[in-house]
Amino acid sequence: MALNNKVCTYRVTHETLYHYSSNVSQSQHFAHLTPRNTAVQKVLEHRLVCHPSPTEHTELQDYFGNFSCSFLINEPHDELSVTSSSMIEVQITDAQILHHSQAWENALHLDHYQLEPPEIAEMRLPSPYVECLPQTAAFAAQCFTPGRPWSEAMLELTRKIYNDFTYDPQATTVSTPVQEVFENKRGVCQDFAHLMLSCLRSLKLPARYVSGYILNEPPPGVEKLMGSDASHAWIESWSPEMGWTGFDPTNGKMANHEFMTLAWGRDYMDVTPLRGVVLGGGTHKPEVKVNVSRLD
Amino acid sequence: MFDDNKQAGSKDSPLEDSGNTVNQYPIPPDRFDEMFEAPGIPRAHWQAFYDLLVSTPNKSINARLASARRHIRDSGITYNVYNDPEGQDRQWELDVLPLVISTDEWQHLQAGIAQRARLFNRILADLYGPQKILTEGLVPASLILGHSGFLRNAHGMKPPGNIFLHIYSADLARSPDGQWWVIADRTQAPSGAAYALENRLITSQTFPELFRSMGVRHLAQYFSTMRDALIYNAPIGDGHPLAVVLTPGPFNETYFEHALLARYLGFRLVEGNDLTVFNNKVWLKTIEGPRRVHAIIRRQDDSFCDPLELRVDSTLGIAGLMQCVRTGSVLVANPPGSGILEAGALMGYMPRLCKVLLKEELLLPSIATWWCGEPAAMENAFKQYKSLVFKPADPGFSFEPIFANNLGQSRWQHLQNQIKQHPERYLAQELVQMSQAPVLTSRTRDKLQPRGIGLRLHSSIASSGNYIVMPGGLTRVASSNNSRIVSMQRGGSSKDTWVLSDNPLGNQLTLLRNSFSADDLVSANSAVTSRVAENEFWFGRTCERCESIARLLRVALRAALYEYEDGRHAPLHAMAISWGLANKETENIEQELLSASTKENHPLGLAGNLRHLHQIAFQLRHRLSGDHWRAVNQLLRHPSFNKESTIDESLAWLDTVILSMTTLSGFALDSMNRDTGFRFLSIGRRIERLSFMTRLFSIACDEGRDSGLTWLLELCDSVITYRSRYMSQPQWLPVMDLLIRDISNPRAMMFQVKGILDYMAHLSPKDPCGSELLLEGKILVQQLDIRHDFEPDSTRLMDALNTLHNSTYALSDELTTRFFTLPGGVQGNWSSPWH
Repeated sequence: MALNNKVCTYRVTHETLYHYSSNVSQSQHFAHLTPRNTAVQKVLEHRLVCHPSPTEHTELQDYFGNFSCSFLINEPHDELSVTSSSMIEVQITDAQILHHSQAWENALHLDHYQLEPPEIAEMRLPSPYVECLPQTAAFAAQCFTPGRPWSEAMLELTRKIYNDFTYDPQATTVSTPVQEVFENKRGVCQDFAHLMLSCLRSLKLPARYVSGYILNEPPPGVEKLMGSDASHAWIESWSPEMGWTGFDPTNGKMANHEFMTLAWGRDYMDVTPLRGVVLGGGTHKPEVKVNVSRLD
Repeated sequence: MFDDNKQAGSKDSPLEDSGNTVNQYPIPPDRFDEMFEAPGIPRAHWQAFYDLLVSTPNKSINARLASARRHIRDSGITYNVYNDPEGQDRQWELDVLPLVISTDEWQHLQAGIAQRARLFNRILADLYGPQKILTEGLVPASLILGHSGFLRNAHGMKPPGNIFLHIYSADLARSPDGQWWVIADRTQAPSGAAYALENRLITSQTFPELFRSMGVRHLAQYFSTMRDALIYNAPIGDGHPLAVVLTPGPFNETYFEHALLARYLGFRLVEGNDLTVFNNKVWLKTIEGPRRVHAIIRRQDDSFCDPLELRVDSTLGIAGLMQCVRTGSVLVANPPGSGILEAGALMGYMPRLCKVLLKEELLLPSIATWWCGEPAAMENAFKQYKSLVFKPADPGFSFEPIFANNLGQSRWQHLQNQIKQHPERYLAQELVQMSQAPVLTSRTRDKLQPRGIGLRLHSSIASSGNYIVMPGGLTRVASSNNSRIVSMQRGGSSKDTWVLSDNPLGNQLTLLRNSFSADDLVSANSAVTSRVAENEFWFGRTCERCESIARLLRVALRAALYEYEDGRHAPLHAMAISWGLANKETENIEQELLSASTKENHPLGLAGNLRHLHQIAFQLRHRLSGDHWRAVNQLLRHPSFNKESTIDESLAWLDTVILSMTTLSGFALDSMNRDTGFRFLSIGRRIERLSFMTRLFSIACDEGRDSGLTWLLELCDSVITYRSRYMSQPQWLPVMDLLIRDISNPRAMMFQVKGILDYMAHLSPKDPCGSELLLEGKILVQQLDIRHDFEPDSTRLMDALNTLHNSTYALSDELTTRFFTLPGGVQGNWSSPWH
């Protein structure tokens, strides 16, 4: 992908609010809410604020190099808010894509005597939320015809999911399996990302799950992007020629400078923005608000 | 040697009789027999056993068998099988003939197991660190990275002492040529070591003469070494080193072993919710506040360890444990993530790994294994599929092993297609014809029966940094002779394993007690956990409740059989109804009482309460003595338990229960340490008794003012006291004095009140809890006027009784919130939504 040295800067606030029906006496949380630096993105500023404030917290870099944070709240509370605010600089990319890239088969790992880095090898494999299925393999094979340029096939698969599937927040839950999403043809960004990962990994192509944000201020006259009021998910796939490149099946396009990366992993499980174990609490109602604004 | 003369001997000769023990024992040519070189020719290290079997009369062998069985039953050794029709705790199966292993053979096995442990430690350190094994291609990256046992959250962990693998077990089988092969490696929660020790207690008693003369190596040192190494390597700080055995709980199949292990090591047996994480450290929740935990022997599968970072649906784990594992603030043996070593697919790569990582040849080979995830290996496996067994490569996709030689062409084709679809989920292993060893049966003829056997060996790191191997182990016995899989879950049995030593018995450590060196360290941490305190409390209450109900039923049933001297027993029905033992509208109270005594499905009946008591005792098993446990256990095995019974049978059964319950309270007084646990037990007992007595008197005053009082005394086990003291027919005033006010009568209400207040003061001297209502009741009783109030119509008496009765509820509630429950109660999990 061609870079042109121009950058744009975003301010992102991501607030998660939990209302518990009864008091929580103690809670522990594990967050992936701190954006990472990437080849095209620099984090200029970041703050994570919790109410009530944590008794203690630990920051660490996970297996994939993402920043995670675990924290403990040791006082009774019936409400929890976690706000992540960041300033992120992203390089502006040219919108067009190389249609003349090498054949997609080059991204396969056919010569087993040739070693490849574990971080690529593991993204060819199924993972807890991404099962490889004959259906998704067949679905992918329609795009990945022999000898077809990698980027062309990738983009077609991205668009195919976008066209054939309906965005429907009511259709799925956190743990809806890929097979069900494929059969019902409905879901949200996480489901479409998992589905696309299943398609690619069924063909043994390396692909990873990306959690992040997209710009939700469309230019006048342009429709607002799906998933822009909440945290977003898309995928990145790897080819020897292009490295890791992002594709967003929810919006049927390549990821560009309107995409801000939080973290990546094999699937949602590796990079869940916020998870927790609480004592008490009864039922709870989560509320997520994401606001992305361009500063320049 | 088998001797024809023995067969031809006279009929009375014990030799003739016992000739049957080895007579018809078959040794197929394609199998290795552990005991016999050839029919009738024992191997040298079995000679002593052979001689004993041949020279012992049938009768005395059967007596030894019976004694061993009794020992197992009485000590309640169990192995739980999920969904087992025999119920929660199935009796442990042991064949008393041990597997004997010669000194030379042991040298080889020991070196091989220790080497594998060393190698596995290196592999773990690499996989959760630099991953050279993957980047240099010693093992296909996809084998590790696609396996559910590889925990990414454990990557980068800094285990205390830099030890990644503390304990390691291996399952071995012997092929027809006499060679031992490792067929499975166990690292997550290897069980069997403590069962082996329990087996040893039995076999050494069954064959004491051989155990002494053959120079069998003892097992105790293994446990003390393991324990010392754990304490030695554990991180320090925040008080004395505290080590615990973490169990998933009583429903786990090997819970019994967890309890044993905890007892042998002198470590606390805890469950996930006994522990909590803050300050990046693990703490034990005790009634005296949190205690830092330095070492955990983990008997939970990896993925259940931490609901925060691993399986969110795990209710067994400790939220935050992974963080402590990564920083090394707690020693976990073995750390979560070690499960990757159980991936059978690794076996094929062991020789190369050993050469590269240790610069040594692998001493103990694994069974030939092909991981289908590698295309070349899959091809290989397909070529020779008839001699292979196909197994799951990942516990996430488990299935029953498939013996390919049993498959017809079409089923093989089907399997092949399945494998091709997900090759990484399959591995193929060579089929070993397991060796056989004799088991001793109580049959008259053919006392020795051949059974397939497998051997599980155990090793642990020592403080020196070397791995030691337990000189013995659990020999597992197939349920029939042609079984190709030995598994306790499939109803197999077990044997002790006798490793012979060169040097005669000298300064070997004996079992338990004498040998441990770190006692002071461990016993210094004796604060009772909240969960144990709660169980002790309910154990006390439930014991007492069972006794009260049994007495009530006995008195009521007797009344149905024959009338009391004073001829009136109307209040008994009211009692039975009040305790829910009979229905108010019942036509046939006798039938209801019978069912309440023996039938488990009676909701408030005796049998149901006994089952409940058994469950609590089960939870407390590591704190109860063998006798305690036996007393509870025997009741549930009583012929009347949960059976229809006549009045006579029921009365006999009730006598047994009451006797057992008084025995139990005797044990408690006589053999329990006066620690905090004991106090909770006693408080529970007294609260229950006070509650029973106050309700009893309320009803008696209500319904029984015209009835005789013998039944009341009998219910309170005070007939003898009364008679010896008053020498008269029971009358209200002396009865009330004896059962309410007399502080020297252990059945009297005031005796309970005083006891509860004393124990409470011990528990928290500064702020004794729950005492307000109780003190009020006490004062009300003290203020009763002996001339006017000790009769059924006194409102002041009723008032005092009600206050005391209500105080039992208040006390129970306060104990619960103050000592037992964790703030908030239920633990929930959630993940954030996404879009």
